[in-house]
Parts: sequence; C-alpha cells; structure tokens
Amino acid sequence: MSLRARLAQWIGVPTLVPARKRTADRAIERLSPSAWVSVPLAGAAPTVQVGDVVAAGALIARSQAGARWQRRVHSPYQGAVVSVDERAIVVEGAPLPAAAGSAQHTGAAGLAPSDIIVTVREAGVTGLGGAMFPTYAKLGTSVDTVLVNGCESEPYFTCDHRVLAEHGDEVRCGLALAKRAVNADHGAIVDREAYYPAGYERFLIRDELDRVLAPHALPRDVGVLVMNVQSARALCVAVCGETPMIERVITVAGDAVGRPGNYVVAIGTPVAHLLRVCEIDQARAATIITGGPMMGRALEAGAVVTAGTGGLLALTADEVAAREEVPCIRCGRCLEACPVGLPVAKIVERPGPEVLRCMECGACQYVCPSAIPLVERLRLAKRREVEWD
Amino acid sequence: MRGPFLRSPQSTSHLMAQVVVALLPIATIAIWRHGAPAAVTLGGAVTAALAVEIAVRRAAPRDLSAVITGMLAALLLPADAPPWLGAAAGALAIGVGKHAFGGLGKNPFNPAALSRGLLMVLVPATLFAPAWAWDGVTMASPLARESGGTAPLLSAVWSGDVPGALGTSAPWAVLLGGLALVALRTIDGRVPLVYLATVTVGSIVLPGSDRIVAHAPWLVADPLLHLLAGGTLLTAFFLLTDPVTAPFAPLGRVAFAAIAGVVTIAARLYTPYPDAAALAVLVANAFTPAIDRWRST
Ligand code: SF4
Ligand code: SF4
Repeated sequence: MSLRARLAQWIGVPTLVPARKRTADRAIERLSPSAWVSVPLAGAAPTVQVGDVVAAGALIARSQAGARWQRRVHSPYQGAVVSVDERAIVVEGAPLPAAAGSAQHTGAAGLAPSDIIVTVREAGVTGLGGAMFPTYAKLGTSVDTVLVNGCESEPYFTCDHRVLAEHGDEVRCGLALAKRAVNADHGAIVDREAYYPAGYERFLIRDELDRVLAPHALPRDVGVLVMNVQSARALCVAVCGETPMIERVITVAGDAVGRPGNYVVAIGTPVAHLLRVCEIDQARAATIITGGPMMGRALEAGAVVTAGTGGLLALTADEVAAREEVPCIRCGRCLEACPVGLPVAKIVERPGPEVLRCMECGACQYVCPSAIPLVERLRLAKRREVEWD
Repeated sequence: MRGPFLRSPQSTSHLMAQVVVALLPIATIAIWRHGAPAAVTLGGAVTAALAVEIAVRRAAPRDLSAVITGMLAALLLPADAPPWLGAAAGALAIGVGKHAFGGLGKNPFNPAALSRGLLMVLVPATLFAPAWAWDGVTMASPLARESGGTAPLLSAVWSGDVPGALGTSAPWAVLLGGLALVALRTIDGRVPLVYLATVTVGSIVLPGSDRIVAHAPWLVADPLLHLLAGGTLLTAFFLLTDPVTAPFAPLGRVAFAAIAGVVTIAARLYTPYPDAAALAVLVANAFTPAIDRWRST
C-alpha cells in the first residue's frame, strides 16, 4: 500500500465516496475498432438476416408495431451480418471514419414537437445513464423544466464531463430540442462538482430546483424531465445530424489500466477488445467492472458495451480496499451516509417496507467500517418485501 | 457480482487503533505522575483484558477492542488502587462486560464502566467509599474534599496534580486526545458536545442539596470544576462515544448524552458519590434500547 493511502487511513476520514476523477483531463478519443460488434436488441425484433450487408447506421431491429415501448436498433458498423438471435445481432466490418460528433445542429427552430419525438424514436435514442429507457417516451410527457444531468452517475466517470467540455454546443442543442418537445419553459445543464450520489434524479431535482420527490414518484410528477448529457447530445445528433444512436463515450479508468481515458465506442463493442486496446493489466487488477464502482457489475464473459455502459474500470487491490467482514459496531455511519436516510444496520436485521426506498447506491456499504455486505442484504430484503406484498 | 466494489479505508480495526493512540498519552502521564502502581494497574488491566478475550474467543484478538477496554477500565480506578485491582477490572470488563453478552457489538453496557460499577459493589467499601460518609469520613478527590476543606485549585485539576482516578491525571491530555478523535471523525463529536453542555448548564442552574452546600460548597455553581474534574472529559470523549453501547441514530445519541450529563451532575450535587461519571454512563446505556425504539433514524 502506498504511503499516501496509509496516511489517508489515519488522517482522512472518508464519509463521502471519493470522486477519483483522474481521467477528467483526458480528451475524448476514438479507439481502434473491434473486428465485430454484437449489438444488444433489448426486445426489438431483427429486420436483417445472416449474410445481409448493412451500412453504418442502417436499421437492423425494431419493436413489433403494437409494443408499448418502441425500440429501434441500428448497425454501428458497415459490414456483414454474421449472427442473429433474439438477444443480439453480430455485424462484422468497421465503423465509418467519424460517425457522429460532427452534426450540423440547427437548433429547435421550426420543428414541431411531434417531429422531434418521431425522429428521436426512429433514431433509437435511449437514456445513456444506465436505465436505457427510450428517450422518445420521456419526451411525450408534459413538464415545465428539463434538466440535463452533467453530474457523473458514479465515481471515476468523467465521460459526461468531457462530452460537455468538448461537445457542449450539441448538448445545449439537445436541451433546446427536448424543451421544445415537452413544451417546457425552463431548462438547465447541471454541471457541478457534486457528491455521490448527487447525480440521482431525485437528488438532482431536490438540489437544483428545490422540488422533493415522494418516495415512489417520478420526476414528471413534479414537472421535471431529467436527461443524461449524452442522451441530450444523441438527441441533437439524431435530429440535426440525422444519425441514429450507435455509439457513446465511456470512461476507462482504474490503476490497472495502461491507457486510461475517455473513448468513443460503438455500441456492441466486446469488452474483451477494450481490455486489449486500453492495455488493461489483468494480473494487477483485483476487479474489472463494467459500469461504475458503486453500481456496476464484475466483468462477465462475452460482455459488450451497451447504451447504459458508462465505463470500464480495472481497479487494483489498493483501490478497492477489500477486507474481511467483522461484527457491526452500531456506529451509525451507514445511516448518516444513506441519501434517503435509512437506518441501514437495523433494516438488514429486521427489514420493513421502508427498505423499498433503498436505491442500492452503495454509499452505506462504502462507509461501513465493519465491511458488512449491506447492499447484498438490502437487495435480498427488497425482494422479500416485494414478494410478500 | 454486483457493486459497490469500493470500501472506505476507515475500518473498524483502524477506528480502534486510533482510540488506543489517543489514550496512550493519558496513560503515559498517569504512570509518570503516579509511578509504578499506576503502571501495574494499567498493565494488569490490559493484560487481563487481552487474556480473557483470547480465552473466550480461543483465537488471537481480531482488533484492539480489548486493549481499549482494558485501558479505560484502569483509567477509572483510583491511582492508589491495590496492585490486583487493575487486572480484576480488565478481566471483569471483557469477561462480564463484553463476552457475557455475546461479544463485540452485542454488549448493552460499556464494559469499562460496567467493571467499575461491579467493583464498587464487590470490593471493600474503602476503595470506593463515598466522598464523605455521613459520619464525616472523607475521600480525597478534588470533587470530594474533607468537609470544611478548601476548594481545589482549578489549575491543579487542569494539570492533573490532584488525587483521584488515573484518568484524571491529565484532563488536558484527555481533551486533546478526544478532540483529535472528533477531528478524525473516529467518534461522534455530538456526544461529548451535548454531554459537556448538559454538565455545564446543570452545574450552573442546580442549587445542590443542603448537605453538599454544607460539606462541599465549592461543588455548587462551578462549571469549570465539573468539566475538568472527576473524569468528566474521559466520560465525554471515551466512554459515551463507544458506538456499541450508544444509540444508533444521531438524535438518539444527543438524547443519550444529555441523560448521561444530567445523571453526572445530579450525582455530584445530590449524592455522596461525586465521582459518578462511570455510573452515569451505565444509566445512559440502560436507556439506549428505549432511545433506539423512539428514534431509529
Ligand atoms: S452496518 Fe456498518 S456502518 Fe452501519 S452501524 Fe454497523 S458497522 Fe456501522
Ligand atoms: S440503504 Fe440503499 S439507498 Fe441507502 S445508502 Fe444503502 S444502498 Fe444507498
């Protein structure tokens, strides 16, 4: 362990999850592409067959006509369809030299809300913050304020920050389009240094607008639409650049990464390819995570980048600071760290319905000095609570 | 496997190590001031605490909790205690105070305070005699001087140059160690704050019983004396802040500290047991389950 890390154990007292934004100054780059992409379909039905040749940006899957949420999936690559099943379509080939990012955005002037919504739907734009909900459906609501969420959703992530810094005009255009689509008078891009998990919709709305969401309410119930920075940009790229959503910017970070940074990656890119081109040292890495360090998943075989993948992390043992679980000392840190104020140590012992307010942000588990796997137990308690209802 | 994958570096064993480091200067000054008997008391208490911990768990100690408990148990004992008393306190604290209730995290009473309470009942009364028996026999501690004696000098109390428990040998070192732990957020600073505030306010507004006014008039309306003497600071920063025996929620801890403060000052002004800080801890501990039911967040 480094001397600094040792000192921090004595002098620094982390009650907040550390931000660790070490890639904040790394400009967005394009990585050398993988030979193939495996594009997840999220329930959409394939419109191509094995052997078809597709152009980059061509529609390859769409929801059935009657489906509640209409999804559209486009090929990030120009090439041949080599495999089709109900979960993913594999395309072998290569991306166009610069697919998105150079949109001629003309702003919202002269566009009817319905035009914007249809264009966004056909471009397959989804939320890029993790939930991957189709954006057009959100644009069908009527709210007075649109917030573009520039607080990164997790520690380590800097991709949204970079997109704002380098493509701020597109993000602002996306915000203007969204405001027009939902007929909102107010809009703002929230971009500030914040604590984890300030990027959660409900905290963003509370901190920014002073509007409080009831435990099970949605942002639209208080007249707000929240979009991720990259979703807003995708909206602009779809409308002004006439390019569907086929790529995103991700952060690759952690002390076991040889080439940390922010990278444009085609959706469907195999993570194994990223491990190679970003020079991730798998021997040094204690954990490799798709997504963030708080809510992400340990890397699974065959994983690919989806719209909701904000990053790829390879963390060393020092960074994860794993240790053995010891008995709870009732120190109350879990309660004080919980953004929704749950008495976590008590809830995991004797779960009640309030456990459903837990959003699994992991802050309680981070601060627990006894290293108790609280989130695992909270998930279990939540499942039980739902089943009993 | 799903996240979170990160852990705060502030582990339970680090918290305990920080408390031990904060206690070391106090113990050192106590030994320097009182010599070999203090060393025997402190060493005996820590050794006995560790021995019982190892015997009960049949494994090497996982953390420093036995060391903390042993040190605190010794610091609550009189400086002129017989040589075996420290070991008895340490063994009682860990054996009865901690493991009889199921070990770390399960004990309802602060083990060190409980050992002191048990010893008061178990050992010859002269060891922990009341400040003045009603027949006039007296104990020498700054809070309880001979009837008709003089008020203790605050400067002597501050530097620890007075008779009393080992933990009162260096109020300034207790304060510094405690403030360091608050600054490091090892302990919850709200607890000492509320406790000391309650003692201060109580010492100003409570008139004291007739006997106190007659026998120890300096105890009335002298908040500084009450804050510095009689182990008030040790109780504030090191006994009440034991997370295991304090309530779980912040507001609950505030109520808990206030109860301990009221008991401390009431004991001094209305009973012949002015060195009752450890008993105040036990009383407050007894309220913890009720407070937790009252306020869980
Ligand atoms: S679960 Fe962890 S953080 Fe919560 S009270 Fe217990 S030891 Fe402290
Ligand atoms: S209880 Fe749930 S919401 Fe609260 S800190 Fe833990 S994971 Fe986050």
